[in-house]
Amino acid sequence: MSTVLEQIEQEIAKLSAKAVRKNTGTIRTVADGVAKIDGLSDVMYNEMVQFPGGAIGIALNLEEDEVGCVILGDVSMLKEGDEVTTTGRLLSVPVGKALLGRAVDALGRPVDGKGPIDTREFNPVEKIAPGIIVRKSVSQPVLTGIMAIDSMIPIGRGQRELIIGDRSTGKTTIAIDTIINQAKINKVGFASGDPKFRPMYSIYVAVGQKNSNIARTIAALEAAGALEYTIIVAAPAADNPANQYIAPYSGAAMGEWFMDNNMDALIVYDDLSKHAVAYRQISLILKRPSGREAYPGDVFYLHSRLLERAARLDGKGSLTALPIIETLAGDVSAYIPTNVISITDGQIFLETDLFNQGIRPAVSVGLSVSRVGSAAQLKATKQVAGKLKGELAQFRELAAFSQFGSDLDAKTKAQLDRGSRIVELFKQPAFNPIPIELQVVTLWAMQKGYYDSLPLAKVSAAAKALREFFSTRQDALLTTIRTKAALDAEIEAGLKTACDAWKATFAA
Amino acid sequence: MASNSKVAGLLARKLFKLSLVDGAVSPERVAGILEYVEVHRPANPVMVLRAYHRLVAAELARSAAVVEHAGPVSDAILQAIAAALTAKYKRPVKTVAKPNPALLAGLRVHLGDDVFEASAAGQLRALAESA
Repeated sequence: MSTVLEQIEQEIAKLSAKAVRKNTGTIRTVADGVAKIDGLSDVMYNEMVQFPGGAIGIALNLEEDEVGCVILGDVSMLKEGDEVTTTGRLLSVPVGKALLGRAVDALGRPVDGKGPIDTREFNPVEKIAPGIIVRKSVSQPVLTGIMAIDSMIPIGRGQRELIIGDRSTGKTTIAIDTIINQAKINKVGFASGDPKFRPMYSIYVAVGQKNSNIARTIAALEAAGALEYTIIVAAPAADNPANQYIAPYSGAAMGEWFMDNNMDALIVYDDLSKHAVAYRQISLILKRPSGREAYPGDVFYLHSRLLERAARLDGKGSLTALPIIETLAGDVSAYIPTNVISITDGQIFLETDLFNQGIRPAVSVGLSVSRVGSAAQLKATKQVAGKLKGELAQFRELAAFSQFGSDLDAKTKAQLDRGSRIVELFKQPAFNPIPIELQVVTLWAMQKGYYDSLPLAKVSAAAKALREFFSTRQDALLTTIRTKAALDAEIEAGLKTACDAWKATFAA
Repeated sequence: MASNSKVAGLLARKLFKLSLVDGAVSPERVAGILEYVEVHRPANPVMVLRAYHRLVAAELARSAAVVEHAGPVSDAILQAIAAALTAKYKRPVKTVAKPNPALLAGLRVHLGDDVFEASAAGQLRALAESA
């Protein structure tokens, strides 16, 4: 008996004394969040490496006799000669529903002071985008709640729609409005008990932004009751460039979890201009050859591999991406804007002039487009807004010409009048998304000329009053429009009766 | 134009290749190279020699395993380690013993970039990191 026990004890002793092999290197230089390391002969591209003091890094440059690593975390304690070890793992972040309602950093660690996040699942930050076979065409809408967008530049689940414009033109507001609208739809959907309802979860990735702006965004989402359906990934301007570089990929990994688990998610990258700048900084410190505007040669791949991860998968869920790009003086032909325009499936272009004229959201109809979203547009919206984009574009052209002379024929005057009414109708305050059924009602009334007799300055107020009238008195009709998602003769008759009743009260 | 450090690195690598005989650093060759560098000074000689030193040191570290130990280590153990590493890396490896009381118990073997950790201190550290 004792021999048997001895054998087992020897085996345990053998196992517990088993040597662990580590591949190590030593820091040669460390500067600006990037370390050059001697050794690490076994390291793989994009592998996570362990620095002393708990900091981790990612091996980005594998050269003949040194390895270049970006460091995620505190670099102040690192010095020349410190030992670095390989981990054999790719950088991963926590994923799952436990992250909803939380603000995390680029590595998925909570930064909101609400305690640890209870999740055991991890997804790699870098992942190859889904291939052709597993993808499905875009056919379900993502309703932003912004009338100008839902009616003229519709977005579908799985689409990549760029939001582009100069600073302070309302880019973030559009993204936040969309997130708030998803939360509103989720609440209505869950309350309805419809088993076919597919909620949409949101991820907001803040890259290189001021902490105060991020705090304001979180406060806006919380006030609107949207934070519980949203994950905030924050890599503010004060973070090192490595964190800013990795944050959008971390957000994508969190979004992919929803997509892979038969759910739908929306991800906002705010913004990719600053992301490109952070990557340029890393690349220059790593001494990679620089190209146009000092960006490295792979800056296109930086964004294409990120945005290609947004998809609608056959038999699974979807990930819709809303990247944001900031232009300088409206120049959409700069390097990063053209790159991202070519990667995405359309763009919402915001103009400073329109914004300053008080037309908010300042969507430029001529330069904005949605390449796949129209397939996902609701039939009801198509019925009432099918010709709007053309009419508005025509209006802009005529408005430009009409500045040169006052002798205009009746038809042109009518077109100008109608155009200016549409512009007024599309004005919408921030953080106030409009449900799709109310959008349909507003546009149907416009189509049928209910605002034609009103002075131009009163159109916005009239549309608001009409929506209030329907919300308070025509709930059944609104529910029918929402569930049927198309206008038939019966609904149109109901709309006419209700609008006539409203007109009488409004005129009075 | 390539930077000075890059040019120095390339030259150092060429000199390093000339220092090898049958895949191992030859002291005679190294002495000859140092003599040659002294006579025919390249641009940035300090930078070249530093890069050369780093390459030679890395190569020497690949063939000499440093065995750190907390308690006494017999020659038989050192020989067994050398034999095991020679078999694993398929090149002759010799061992150099180096006492290190900070390990508490057990051994830690360094060979080139690889570290084989079988010490009590290493296990305690791993335990602390996993907690």
